[in-house]
Amino acid sequence: MRALAALMAIMALASFAFGQVTPDSVNPLQGSAEAAAAGKVLFGKMNCAGCHGYDLTGGMGPDLTDNSWLYGGKPGEIFHTISEGTPRGMPSWKGQLTLEQIWQLVTFIQSKHAS
Amino acid sequence: MALREVLLGASLIYATVISTAAEMGSVTGATANMAPGDEPGQWTRQARDYANTRYSPLTQISHKNVAQLRIAWTFSDGQMYGHEGAPLVVGDTMYVVTPFPNIAYALDLTKPGAPIKWVFQPNPDPRAIGEACCDKVLRGWAYADGKLIYNLLDDHTVAVDVQTGKEVWRVKLDEVANGPTMTQAAFVVGNKVYVGNSGGEMGSTGWLAALDVKDGHIIWKAQSNGPDQGALIGPGFKPFYSWMVGKDLGETSWPKDMWKQGASSPWGWVSYDPDLNTIYYGTSNPGPRVPSQRPGLNLWSSAVFARDADTGMAKWAYQFTPHDEWDYDGINENVLIEIPWKGARRKVLVHFDRNGFAYTIDRVSGEVLVAEPFGYENWANKIDLATGMPVINADKHPIVEQKVEDICPPDVGVKNWQPSAFSPRTGLLYASIYNSCMDLTDHEVKYIPGAPYDGMEMERHVGPGGNWGEFIAWDPVKGRKVWGIKEDLYGMSGVLTTASDLVFYGTLDGWFRAVDARSGKVLWSQKVGSGIMSQPIAFLGPDKREYIAVYTGVGGGSAVIRHVKGYPPGGNTLYVFSVDGAGIGTGTTQLQTQAGAAAPVSTPPGAAHE
Repeated sequence: MRALAALMAIMALASFAFGQVTPDSVNPLQGSAEAAAAGKVLFGKMNCAGCHGYDLTGGMGPDLTDNSWLYGGKPGEIFHTISEGTPRGMPSWKGQLTLEQIWQLVTFIQSKHAS
Repeated sequence: MALREVLLGASLIYATVISTAAEMGSVTGATANMAPGDEPGQWTRQARDYANTRYSPLTQISHKNVAQLRIAWTFSDGQMYGHEGAPLVVGDTMYVVTPFPNIAYALDLTKPGAPIKWVFQPNPDPRAIGEACCDKVLRGWAYADGKLIYNLLDDHTVAVDVQTGKEVWRVKLDEVANGPTMTQAAFVVGNKVYVGNSGGEMGSTGWLAALDVKDGHIIWKAQSNGPDQGALIGPGFKPFYSWMVGKDLGETSWPKDMWKQGASSPWGWVSYDPDLNTIYYGTSNPGPRVPSQRPGLNLWSSAVFARDADTGMAKWAYQFTPHDEWDYDGINENVLIEIPWKGARRKVLVHFDRNGFAYTIDRVSGEVLVAEPFGYENWANKIDLATGMPVINADKHPIVEQKVEDICPPDVGVKNWQPSAFSPRTGLLYASIYNSCMDLTDHEVKYIPGAPYDGMEMERHVGPGGNWGEFIAWDPVKGRKVWGIKEDLYGMSGVLTTASDLVFYGTLDGWFRAVDARSGKVLWSQKVGSGIMSQPIAFLGPDKREYIAVYTGVGGGSAVIRHVKGYPPGGNTLYVFSVDGAGIGTGTTQLQTQAGAAAPVSTPPGAAHE
């Protein structure tokens, strides 16, 4: 069952390219505990925590746990913010992260937001 | 009356005068050179004088009438980031600059309500918003040669004509996309304006530059770290302590090439001694903030530099926190005073470091004369005056991926950048300070341009006693607190001292206070719209009346305690106070509208029927 879910996730990922992610795109890793855990590691490793806090409640960057989203809170919108960056100084990460890694980060952020 | 009684009476009066003089004398004998000796009613640089005393010679507002201080007028600039700077008063005009987007206003003090003369909008690059670590602030600006000169968050320095409000020059000094920003208060001496970058959390390369006031071109630029050549360290560099003597220590006290992202950004204050022609300024924490990744002293981070004001060549340096493991920085102000010391007068600088020790340092030689805690700290047991080194508490070293509890102070220090003030009448310094600690877990990080180079996960909590802040008077000769006033939240305000022995400061929960410089007795408090983390000033208006001005608007580093009860929302209002709120055309004297109509005089309720 788990293997099947993983296979489906890989297939879903394979069907995307960066440019094809839209605001309404479904997170192919949505709800995956493994993806959220991988996203958490990336969140520290890529220095996201330096701006948004290790608890995601913000600091020099915005809080990611509240209901206020500057650039949209749908999974596809969060993906877009991470991949492209923002005019207000959030760097673009598409050159340093794979598609799957960005979705892992989205999954991690969603997991924190839900709680 | 017999002659004897007259003489007795005279001697009693004489005795009273003497004892009053003794009571009113200096506690420490410390004095300061108030160069450049601006007119008493003017305030043309952030700290008023080169020595950074923030002492106003004005005396109209005194113990007798300070309780009658009321609002004369206010000005709101509409920007919601933290407000850290002090207004300047040059001639009959006041100049203020907002936090990002760094809009400058000239306010006409000759007219009722100080209307806007001009506004200058520099439109800095908004990418800087995401790169500034500790809010999008500006700590001040400078006046020189008919120009208002200040730093933009996007790594430019700009000069504006004070008559027209038009840009005279703008120079780019760093690359904002890589992480550095500029929040420092530009400081002018003669034909040079000294500016430095920010970015201690961003892996920036710290530097201080001297620009030509006339056209902004770089006269010299001194890197904080790296080989001696770039750090403007030469044969004339003579640190007092042997562990800071050697070739290229700014490079060799780091793992290979790590000095390049070693920050050490001078984002605080510059002071100047005209007799020694020397400037003094501090450097930030080293990057990354995780110390296990950068074994070595990490020179010249968390240090003070003394440099020749003309050439930039270093004269001496002293590292307050060697191999800084807690983000303590060394950027706080250096107040230049003269003290009696073992039978002689010594030229010293007084520096309240974020690490919790107040240093009195011989500013000719770099020798530490006094280093005592001015608030609660537990990371070091003392500063060893023989070596200049802290004696570190072994329990307080950070450990990667392990929580170390109760390190005091946390990253923001026992006192942050908010500047202290000195009174030559009392010989004391006055400072707003913090009382807090942290539980710290370090995480290793890698350098990614434009992203934080940080790695400190912190839970900050209040220190002993339960009060987050305090306002203190400090004896820089004996190294002791003379008195303190506990405050609920962090003491984040700059300080103003006056010749009438008043000291002004604000609180994060929005109180602006005047206290007795000798006893600390609170003589007046006014609640204002937001909290205060800026720098109060005193000035004379065109009406020769004394005013006190202060910006309100919380933010900045104080936001680390934004979840504490009582932390207010932001704001952006400049408050100007005078005795009874009187001023040019304000209060009961303002009976005409600006359009020239007679304003209706209010009628008491019920009076219309009489």
